[in-house]
Amino acid sequence: MAFVILKDLAYQYPSSTGLVLENISLQIQEGEFVSIIGPNGAGKSTLCYALAGFVPHFFKGEISGEVEVDGRKSSESTLDEWALNVGLAFQNPFNQISGAKYTVFEEIAFGLENIGVPRDEMKKRVEDAMSLTGISDLADRSPYSLSGGQQQRVALTSILVMRPRLLVLDEPTSQMDPVGTREVFGVVRKMAEEGMTVVMVEHKVEWIANFADRVIALKDGQILIEGKPNEVLTSDLLIENGFGISRYTSAAREARKRGLWKKEKLPVTLDEAVEGFKS
Amino acid sequence: MNAFSMYAARESGLHSLHPLTKILMTLLLVAAGLALPGNWTGYFIVVFIIFPLAFWGRVFLNLLSTTWKVSLPFAISVILIQSFFWGEGTPIFEIGVLSPKWEGAMFAAVSMGKIILVMSGFLLFSMTTRPDTLMITLKQAGVPSSIAYIIVTTLQIVPSFQRKALTILDAQRSRGLETEGNLYVRARAFIPIILPLVLGSLMEVEERAIAIESRGFNSGKKETSLIEIPDTPLQKVIRRVILFGIFAFIVFGVLWRL
Repeated sequence: MAFVILKDLAYQYPSSTGLVLENISLQIQEGEFVSIIGPNGAGKSTLCYALAGFVPHFFKGEISGEVEVDGRKSSESTLDEWALNVGLAFQNPFNQISGAKYTVFEEIAFGLENIGVPRDEMKKRVEDAMSLTGISDLADRSPYSLSGGQQQRVALTSILVMRPRLLVLDEPTSQMDPVGTREVFGVVRKMAEEGMTVVMVEHKVEWIANFADRVIALKDGQILIEGKPNEVLTSDLLIENGFGISRYTSAAREARKRGLWKKEKLPVTLDEAVEGFKS
Repeated sequence: MNAFSMYAARESGLHSLHPLTKILMTLLLVAAGLALPGNWTGYFIVVFIIFPLAFWGRVFLNLLSTTWKVSLPFAISVILIQSFFWGEGTPIFEIGVLSPKWEGAMFAAVSMGKIILVMSGFLLFSMTTRPDTLMITLKQAGVPSSIAYIIVTTLQIVPSFQRKALTILDAQRSRGLETEGNLYVRARAFIPIILPLVLGSLMEVEERAIAIESRGFNSGKKETSLIEIPDTPLQKVIRRVILFGIFAFIVFGVLWRL
């Protein structure tokens, strides 16, 4: 049985008039790394909130359908219980800093303190998580003195250290440079291989193609298309609906019109493009 | 180190005291200033106890300038209001109906002593106490963690607000908002700055609630803490004495006024 099951999920915020999510049905296996793409207002963040239990427990509003993680229904659980299994990190890193901690090390330990992890184990887990995401050198800095990208890494580490079964990330690399982005994708991939289920909203399609198992494209609150990264990210449906596609895909499309791209499949990444143009 | 807190990182005896000792010390000074008779007791305590303590904590100049900046607007408005609206007394000058009174100004100066005492006391406390150790202390003292969190983050909100206001100010200026000039121009610039500040802060609260909830803030489990706060048997004794002192001052203050 799938680890995450969404059944006919529809949702409306208390203050909005239309449905923000509509007819979302989805199954995600344990240890799968799923990436969500979509234009602004497609409902990506709302979907993240639904997975993490904040919709409807925190935002209220009207919900129908089911969100199920590990055999438990979100509607039958409290947010506090839900949060122990599902971790959420979102885009704005500044607001994810607790504001009650003096150093990055303590900031990352904040969640473990809340769930009562003993001190020695806590130190070990924080150190491990920091070396995993490559921020060990920031341990004694103030979380507020960091750059946006560094803060995003701290926010990600703060959630990873909690070891959630399902990790929900809403644009976790938006303020990072390419090196940072690659490292975060690498870390997330590694977590997925170790059995953590990951749902990640991202715009950087080349990285998605390299690392994710599956891509879901959302538009107007509905699933437009889903499948293997290479299929989804090169599909005509995306272009017709105004999604951003990889520059390699665009180049190969143009090349195909001129008969310069012979392969049937279009590339998403640089490597695929190089290989395709060689042949 | 932390631009978002009033805390001033220094190595000093005052810094290394247990936060609870410092809170009680602050409360004792405030209680003394409010309970003891005499118009100038507040000023006396500030000059002869709080300032030396600030020297000890190596934050004297810091404390002096912050207290000055915070209390000046208070002082001006209190003195204006009290002197102009004082009923019968010796006029300082008279222009038509305007006649501020010496007695009112005097009363304002006396009241300011109490305000300055409370302000400088708590400023000294927050300058020499790391906010995170305060939070742990409060929780250990039995304060619910949500209340402790609110207290600690509120202490840090002023510098954080200032910084955000400056960012908004810069952003609006770069879009052509006039912020310098006469009173009218400045007043008009107020709304495009205050509105994003307030709305932004409300949104921030929502996101922060989500963030800390995701990190098990309400998990209901027995919390642990990463750092240990050093305490000494002597301080435990001192705290008892201070607690008794606070109680004594309150009783004395009430009886003396009966």
